[in-house]
Amino acid sequence: MPSSKHIPAIRSTTILAAMAFTLTLATQAQTNSLPDAPTPSTAGLASLSPQPDLTFFTADPLQQSTSQPPAQNPAPPSLSDLGLTPDQTKADPDAQARLDRRTHMLKIHQKLGLLTTIPIAAACISSAGATPDRNSYGNTTSRDVHVGIAGLAIGMYGATAYYAIRAPRIPDSGPARGGIKIHKYLIWIHAPGMILTPILGTMAFNDIAGGHKPGGIEQYHSAVALTTAIAYAGSIVAVSWPIHMPFTGSK
Amino acid sequence: MNRCTLTLLASAFAFTQLAAAQADHTWLLDNSALTYHMSHPIHEVDATSHATKGIGKCHEGACDFLLATPVKTFDSGDSNRDLHMIQTVRGAQFPMVTVRFHIPESATNSPTFDCDLEINFAGQTAHYHVPFHQEITGNAHHITGTIPANIIDFKIPAPSFLTVPIKNEIPVKVDTTWHQQ
Repeated sequence: MPSSKHIPAIRSTTILAAMAFTLTLATQAQTNSLPDAPTPSTAGLASLSPQPDLTFFTADPLQQSTSQPPAQNPAPPSLSDLGLTPDQTKADPDAQARLDRRTHMLKIHQKLGLLTTIPIAAACISSAGATPDRNSYGNTTSRDVHVGIAGLAIGMYGATAYYAIRAPRIPDSGPARGGIKIHKYLIWIHAPGMILTPILGTMAFNDIAGGHKPGGIEQYHSAVALTTAIAYAGSIVAVSWPIHMPFTGSK
Repeated sequence: MNRCTLTLLASAFAFTQLAAAQADHTWLLDNSALTYHMSHPIHEVDATSHATKGIGKCHEGACDFLLATPVKTFDSGDSNRDLHMIQTVRGAQFPMVTVRFHIPESATNSPTFDCDLEINFAGQTAHYHVPFHQEITGNAHHITGTIPANIIDFKIPAPSFLTVPIKNEIPVKVDTTWHQQ
């Protein structure tokens, strides 16, 4: 126990030591640099003032972790720390079901669309034998084959279109971008073409069956059909664009 | 009197220690570009999201980081492909991709550092060890790296085109800029 005349001196020393350490800690807390936190030595402080137990104030991380309760460790960051609301992060099973249904229908649309190219191509090829220039007006076999194949193409085209039209729309998905945009623009060419072509074909067929060469608007049947077929093929290429060419590395 | 002074000092020290503990560093993500690459024999696709949010909390020499990206913000330039991607990865059911990692605070000043990433995506969690590069300009820390992600790690069924599935590898390029708050 120190004598009473030593008390002011000890008190002053203690206060000075404490202030120095407080400043050290405050500086350490405010620094913006990122190196590992220095470990202040308490040896000097202890020699200045042996009375208070300064080991309590040590900044040694290991010792601090044992002296502080675990509750003081900050929790790892959460989504709420990022400013995300529960609405932004919650699951939406209805939207997922809508997406699943959309994808399912568009996959059928894709498969049917690719398969439809076969009868369309076959109809184009068979049209060569359906003109009256090469056949007698009375021989309708080639024209019947052409009509049959073209009818199949139109039926499959209709089924293909059905799956695209009936696929659910996804709200807030924004405007179409990329190849799908061209794919949709081309609908305005091949869809009317697919309606007009059989009408003109029927008119031409009736003209030929009547023993005369098609005249009037029906004479454009083959031109409309060819335009439709090109637009249809373009539509397939557009939705697949850009195409990466294997073995060459180019797009 | 002496005991009273010491008590006051002890309280001041305790407060300082508490303040120091609570004033630990926080890192905030300024801007980012996350780009995944998808390969198919006739398609090569890159899709980027700039909507990532990120935060890092440093305490006692260690930092916990969290990044979150809405799945629907990845843009490949083709809205149809992006919607198909969202459906495939069940992006409406699991709308966020989250990345967590824990690094020593000293790594935040290092030109290169390795991270063990915990990625939660499509309802699955996968871990990747990724080296990152860092360029420090003032208070801006520009960090880049590539996560060697695989779709099989997240149990995502591989989409196919003309019956050929895409490649399993979907590397994700990470380009982020952070600042210390």
